[in-house]
Amino acid sequence: MSIFARPADTGAPPQAGPATSPAPQGANGQGSYSTSPTARSAWRSSRLIVLLGVLVVLIAVIGVLLAPGRGESRPLDPDDTSLAGSKALAEILRGRGVTVERVGSAQAAAEKAAAGDKLLVITDLTYYDEEELARLPGDRLVVGPLPYMERVAPGVRIEPGDNRSRSREPECGLPAAAAAGSVHIGGLAMRGPAGTVGCFPVEDGHLLVRFQADGGVTTVVGDGSFMTNQRLAEDGNAALAINLLQTGKSVVWLARPADPPAVDLPGESGKSIYDLMPESIRWAIYMAIIAVAVAAFWRGRRLGPVVTEKLPVVVRAAETVEGRGRLYRARRARGRAAASLRAGTIDRLAPRLGLGSGAGQHEVVAAIAARTGQDAHQVGTALYGPPPTDDAGLVALAGYLDFIERQLSEL
Amino acid sequence: MALTGRTGLIALAGIVVVLFAPRPGAALAGVCLLLASGIVVDLAFAGAVRPLRLHRSGETLVRLGGQATVELVVENPGKRRVRGLLRDAWPPSAGAAPREAELDVLGGERRRIVVTLTPTRRGDRSSVAVTVRSVGPLGLAARQGSHRAPWTVRVLPPFLSRKHLPSRLARLRELDGQHPALVRGQGTEFDSLREYVVGDDVRSIDWRATARRHDVVVRTWRPERDRRVLIVLDTGRTSAGRVGDAPVPMAGTEANTGLLAPPASRPAPGWPRLDWSMDAALLLAALAARAGDQVDFLAYDRAVRAWVSGASRTELLSMLVNAMAPIEAELIEADAQGMVASILSRAKRRCLVVLLTDLNSAAMDEGLMPVLAQLSSRHLVLVAGVSDPRVAAMAGRRGSVEEVYDAAAAEQAQLGRRRITARLRRHGVEVVDAPPEEIAPALADAYLALKAAGRL
Repeated sequence: MSIFARPADTGAPPQAGPATSPAPQGANGQGSYSTSPTARSAWRSSRLIVLLGVLVVLIAVIGVLLAPGRGESRPLDPDDTSLAGSKALAEILRGRGVTVERVGSAQAAAEKAAAGDKLLVITDLTYYDEEELARLPGDRLVVGPLPYMERVAPGVRIEPGDNRSRSREPECGLPAAAAAGSVHIGGLAMRGPAGTVGCFPVEDGHLLVRFQADGGVTTVVGDGSFMTNQRLAEDGNAALAINLLQTGKSVVWLARPADPPAVDLPGESGKSIYDLMPESIRWAIYMAIIAVAVAAFWRGRRLGPVVTEKLPVVVRAAETVEGRGRLYRARRARGRAAASLRAGTIDRLAPRLGLGSGAGQHEVVAAIAARTGQDAHQVGTALYGPPPTDDAGLVALAGYLDFIERQLSEL
Repeated sequence: MALTGRTGLIALAGIVVVLFAPRPGAALAGVCLLLASGIVVDLAFAGAVRPLRLHRSGETLVRLGGQATVELVVENPGKRRVRGLLRDAWPPSAGAAPREAELDVLGGERRRIVVTLTPTRRGDRSSVAVTVRSVGPLGLAARQGSHRAPWTVRVLPPFLSRKHLPSRLARLRELDGQHPALVRGQGTEFDSLREYVVGDDVRSIDWRATARRHDVVVRTWRPERDRRVLIVLDTGRTSAGRVGDAPVPMAGTEANTGLLAPPASRPAPGWPRLDWSMDAALLLAALAARAGDQVDFLAYDRAVRAWVSGASRTELLSMLVNAMAPIEAELIEADAQGMVASILSRAKRRCLVVLLTDLNSAAMDEGLMPVLAQLSSRHLVLVAGVSDPRVAAMAGRRGSVEEVYDAAAAEQAQLGRRRITARLRRHGVEVVDAPPEEIAPALADAYLALKAAGRL
């Protein structure tokens, strides 16, 4: 009779062990084998990726080596071929027989222009001493916007604010500008000293001013974009640039140096923080980096694979009911809530009162009133009346329904 | 390859050395060289992991809530000693302990490591990998490698309701006529004649036989035997819902699994309906097999998940638990039409079809109700549903506004449940609707009542 291997009435476990039940799938008891890759198999599986990586790096290195050394673009440099440079203008001038000499230092500029028979074009002041340049005799063309521009063009007052670069008419009597016509220009507005000729007027000054200074004619332009390789071919840009630079004198062009000297900010004693640090600190920092790497590898190496598992979803069965309750609450669905509570109460009470499921409203009310001694009208309103108008009414209704049920269950 | 904490400490000490050495650059090079050569020596002289051989033995079956031990024998065929750590990696729900073990095997020897599994889910759990880290003689670096040593442990349903079996078997014996106090039920079948003893019901005296034998003879009765019981488990989405309190911890039964859930706001989810239904099915199967009935088992949602048929009485339960072990609730709507077709094609003779599902009014209305007539016209149908005690508790709490709204929703759900129950009964279907802890004995009692009434 026993359905178990052991006496069943003691509640023995149902399974009789591996001998009598079908073995689970899988191969229990098979021999083990290594799953770690050998050096050979690791190389075989990853050689394509390694070769591709090497190829990509190789192409990148060759590409960088073969690419023309562009470096940083130097604005308005007569040797710069980038969009911001001015090599085109310099070449045009040379073609027209003007000698253009590019200089990269204030000393060189001073040497060349000391005689005062040359046109000094200043397109950069960042690395030069303005006072030294200001002392040089001869004509000069200052192309802004530059810091401390007014120091190399004494007498000029720079108005604050920037004017948008756009095509503008010269509107002046300066032949160089008038002949060129409209020019793409903007930048700083200026007011020159007495006797100044101003072109390209804007609200508070002119974008180009020319006046007679001590050593020669000084011309200041608020914006050099019309001289760049990018804009030279537009409007009357080239005409204005050539008119300004081709004065019969050879040109000394002071541009930003090709390799600007590094800026260091030494302390009072002339030493930086790195000079003050003992050499061993630097080496100790290197050693610390190595130590951190070693520790990271020590802690980071996992003992075997991460094991994942597909778990069944965890959802409580009551969640739908709770959701419905929250929905009632959110919509203040007192009518529905009251109807549910009443229907539940009537459904439970009807059999207890000896009424069938088809019992009418009056029979139920009458039966309850008779059993509990409650006022029939009150019972009728609670069970079949209009839904409560506020939450307090709903709570009171629920309490009263509970009360009726308790009374009937106590009978 | 792996490094040890000792390597990290030496590198840390190297910082101090470099800091105070007269020639820091050379000191750094020296420390690095020392470390590198130590690591190389360790890797060269550490016992090899690859040639290790692993053998497993131990249990392959365990009930949920129980513990299984699996032994792992590590054999070192090489000459060098393998010293270090071993990790036997199992899926998280297998509950393997210890997570990693110390290992020390001399060359040519073997060591045994015992892993204890405390599974938290039914189903098959397989070992994923065994990883060994073999530390070199200096303790600076280690060789590491993984092996595959397959072993699968099947986690069976716990069958907690077996505690109800003795009392139900006693009731069965009362029906069976083995008990001194004979209970004569209606519709039971004639068993044999025997002599009258004082205390027998005089209504059971067979007068014709008495006249032949010159002795008072009574008829004895026994309940019907060799009937068929088909237990159908609905594994659709409604069986995934978790109800009650988990009697045995199961994956996901701990509360507040969500990151965003504030603590204590969510009660522990309990067991899925499916597991409670399995528990009830096992008790019913044990009882019916003992009563001499033929028990078949079908698990269905949109396809047949499990089918056990024609099992002999002795092996029925082990076949059932093995069939049930890998079944999980599928998050799809069960196909009632397909289920009924599948039942009809499998059960040719009239039998008791016990359908374990949820008495969810919406799902029943669209699913089972339209096709129920096909089933109930040929078979006796018993629908058993696990109710949610939490909904019942919600219906009773009416203290605040929030609770009253929740109570209204719970009343709505219970009302739907009662209505579907009434409709099922009108169709001549037996219904058992009980909370999780009581579903198994309630179903067994319903079966015994049908048996006593001779309705099988």
